[in-house]
Amino acid sequence: MEFFLQQCVNALQWGSFYALIALGYTLVYGVLRLINFAHGDVFMVGAYLAFFISTGLLAPEGMFGFSRELALILTIPLTMILTSLVGVTLERVAYRPLMRKGAHRLYVVITALMCGLILENGNLALLGASRRTLPELMDKAVYHIGGITVTNLKLFVVLAAILVFFILHFIVTRTRMGMAMRAVSWDKFALPLMGIPLDRVVVFTFVLGSSVAGLGGLLFAMSYPVLDPYMGATTGWKAFIAAVVGGIGDIRGAFVGGFLLAIVEVMVAAFLPSTYRDLYAFSILLLILWHRPTGIFGKPLTAKI
Amino acid sequence: MQRYAINILLCVAAVVLIVLAQTETLDKYVLNIIMLIGINCIFAVSLNLVNGYMGEFSCGHGGFMCVGAYVGSLLSVAFFTDSKLFGAALFAPELAPFLFPLVLFGAMLAAALAGLIVALPSFHTRDDYLAIITIAANYIIISIIENIDAIGGSRGFSGMKKTVNAMSDLIDLPWMLIWTLIGVFVCVVVIRRLMTSTYGKGVSAVCQNEVAAEMMGVNTNHVKIMAFMVSSGLGGLAGVLYAHVYGYVNAQSFNLLKSTEGLVMVYLGGMGSITGVLMAAVAFTLLVELLRFIIPGLNTVFHDLNLLPASYQLDQIWTWVIIPLTLILLMQFRPEGFLGNRELTHVFPRLKRWITLK
Amino acid sequence: MPLLEISGLTQRFGGLQALTDFSFQLEEHQLVGLIGPNGAGKTTVFNIVSGFYKPTEGNIVFDGRRINGLKPHQITALGIARTFQNIRLWNAMTVLDNIRLARTPQLGYNFLDTILRTARYRQAEKAIENRAREVLEMMKLSDIAEEFPKNLPYGLQRRVELARALAGKPRLLLLDEPAAGLNSSDADDLIRFIRWIHDEFKLSIWMIEHQMKVVMSLCQHLTVIDFGCVIASGEPEEVRNNPDVIKAYLGDDTL
Repeated sequence: MEFFLQQCVNALQWGSFYALIALGYTLVYGVLRLINFAHGDVFMVGAYLAFFISTGLLAPEGMFGFSRELALILTIPLTMILTSLVGVTLERVAYRPLMRKGAHRLYVVITALMCGLILENGNLALLGASRRTLPELMDKAVYHIGGITVTNLKLFVVLAAILVFFILHFIVTRTRMGMAMRAVSWDKFALPLMGIPLDRVVVFTFVLGSSVAGLGGLLFAMSYPVLDPYMGATTGWKAFIAAVVGGIGDIRGAFVGGFLLAIVEVMVAAFLPSTYRDLYAFSILLLILWHRPTGIFGKPLTAKI
Repeated sequence: MQRYAINILLCVAAVVLIVLAQTETLDKYVLNIIMLIGINCIFAVSLNLVNGYMGEFSCGHGGFMCVGAYVGSLLSVAFFTDSKLFGAALFAPELAPFLFPLVLFGAMLAAALAGLIVALPSFHTRDDYLAIITIAANYIIISIIENIDAIGGSRGFSGMKKTVNAMSDLIDLPWMLIWTLIGVFVCVVVIRRLMTSTYGKGVSAVCQNEVAAEMMGVNTNHVKIMAFMVSSGLGGLAGVLYAHVYGYVNAQSFNLLKSTEGLVMVYLGGMGSITGVLMAAVAFTLLVELLRFIIPGLNTVFHDLNLLPASYQLDQIWTWVIIPLTLILLMQFRPEGFLGNRELTHVFPRLKRWITLK
Repeated sequence: MPLLEISGLTQRFGGLQALTDFSFQLEEHQLVGLIGPNGAGKTTVFNIVSGFYKPTEGNIVFDGRRINGLKPHQITALGIARTFQNIRLWNAMTVLDNIRLARTPQLGYNFLDTILRTARYRQAEKAIENRAREVLEMMKLSDIAEEFPKNLPYGLQRRVELARALAGKPRLLLLDEPAAGLNSSDADDLIRFIRWIHDEFKLSIWMIEHQMKVVMSLCQHLTVIDFGCVIASGEPEEVRNNPDVIKAYLGDDTL
């Protein structure tokens, strides 16, 4: 039982990462009907940015030499801002011109895939194969609750994810920009008539999605400090699947899907040989999709004549 | 006679290739690239049936290639070689050249059956949901194979070279080149014949207006199953050829990156254009190989010009930066791929005089 | 025996009752109409008959055979063809291919025949091609056989869609607002055209139409529905003067 609960805690942490990435997929998809396959790599870029920022801030011989607490507090917003710049750049440089030309939707998806490849391989090419390690930004504390151990880092990750969920939920349901985002997914052509420029909504969406992915990257790097250029690809594909299982286009779906995937993965790895993780995780997700073809929160597809 | 000019030309080209390979005028490296081009042609043209003609978004074609590669390899090892796994050879190794089509066929059949996994959910879901089903299928297939220890698990599987050697022992010919050329021919003919028939046009009808297709009497579920199975079956053909050309398979060679290569070739060539996709497959494979030489060259040039710090070397990883970058640029200029949904004969109507594709 | 007999048809979508206890009969070689205000459930009736929706309750018998629950393509194969309110052609296929595809239920060859190009395949394709050309000829569309529908003017697209529906030699043709988007003189042509189709192809026609001129001059019998219920049926003249029908269309002025 304790073992099980301990695994649940681990699953919550992994679920937070998946959820934070899945959000970016879901937001962009909701607005543009575009699977932004580069998003997983944006997450990776976030982790690397966090590495450079925090190392720079902490460097004793550098001009800052901040304390760890201060460095962490500064790293979070800086990572988020810089990562969102990456996301917005992708949209500006690669996706928008293509969509303007009225290219087939899938060509934009392929472009996204290519952007992802450039990010991960470009990273490897520029930084080389030597692995980077994020400096510790937090004094480690371990709490024992009953028989399970929780580190302050895990708590921090999960709380951050939950906080992000509520903030995003608020933005999407309560603010003018959020309503515009939802409106775009209904009718792309009516929105400009309402006096809201489509481009601004799209950029806003990319900012939201990428900054959240950046935060995810930072948190991931804090939990698993050794960075790898391909970490975004594997995690990203899985997060995308999580977003779809939750019902792509829905913020709640991204969270539920992310946590669900994490629970399945962690439990499979805990009770079965860990090489079966992908097999079981994806089979279960396929079964869910079989049962609910548009995901947990997705609205059923209706064809009209 | 004139109408068959191009067909004859292609036959002659194939024979010349085989003769060149036989006389070892082409070195092994070039020969391998030619076979890889052939395999990529099969891989891309088969994917084009689902992603181009049917307009679905299948991202897991590598998975079917994987099934074909493994099943084909196992059959080939069981049939023609003595192995620890299957014991003595099932047939005399002298039969290898004649029974090898059985191996190809078995691999195609197995891959086609795997295609069913994806075809069935496609009744209810379309594009993006189907995309993830195919991605998941790709993961699942690889994961299953990696967990079967008897066939090598994540270490991979080998032993197919013996089959190829058995063929050469009997008659000394560049067998894998021949089989690859036959494979490309079969693949193109099957897709071409399918898509020019009223039966196969149902695939385009599903793409262009599924509701109308169903209402006008097209059994859309049947069409989807057919298209997915043909596509994955031919993908399996690419896999089994790949396995025999290299003599070794590993499930991870068929991961999502492989599937992505397929997508690249299809969308680069133009959705629903066989000739376009063939051109893209050739161009793509050649580009990857050329970069092997270009990058070290660039490295030297840049260092000579002092454009790069001495400590930094341009290495092969730049291939996978340059290729996506090229593609992104190409798509900005030709968002519909090389040929869009048209064939070469539509773009150059004069070609029609020289060609009869039936 | 009537060609088409619908009894007690009810359709619910979640909480919405789109159609209530709809009954209807159609004899061989009749030309009848289904009218009603927007959103009354007319297209729903057609969608159920052609198999796109499974009815919640009720029975549909076509030519002595119960067809509810069958797939659309099976129903089409039995001899019910239809057109759509908003044109649904396959735009990236030539007009000829559009017509050819409507012969899929009568294909007569299978996958292997296709790949091997057997004699059976060649004969069947020849027959399909001949039939398609014949229909195009009859519908005066031969000139545009190689055009793509998306490049054709609206009126021609409508005619191609009709030709496609006729290619399968249906016994019952469902026309969903054939006059939508046509002006008055075009509508006159359409009336002549539909009458000609009705005689030439020897089939029954059931049409949804808003333009009263078209309905009144073509239909031998009219059914009027409103809010999913039949409110009147009979000869066009008597339906036109039915107070319930006037109320449905013009509103209740006693309010």
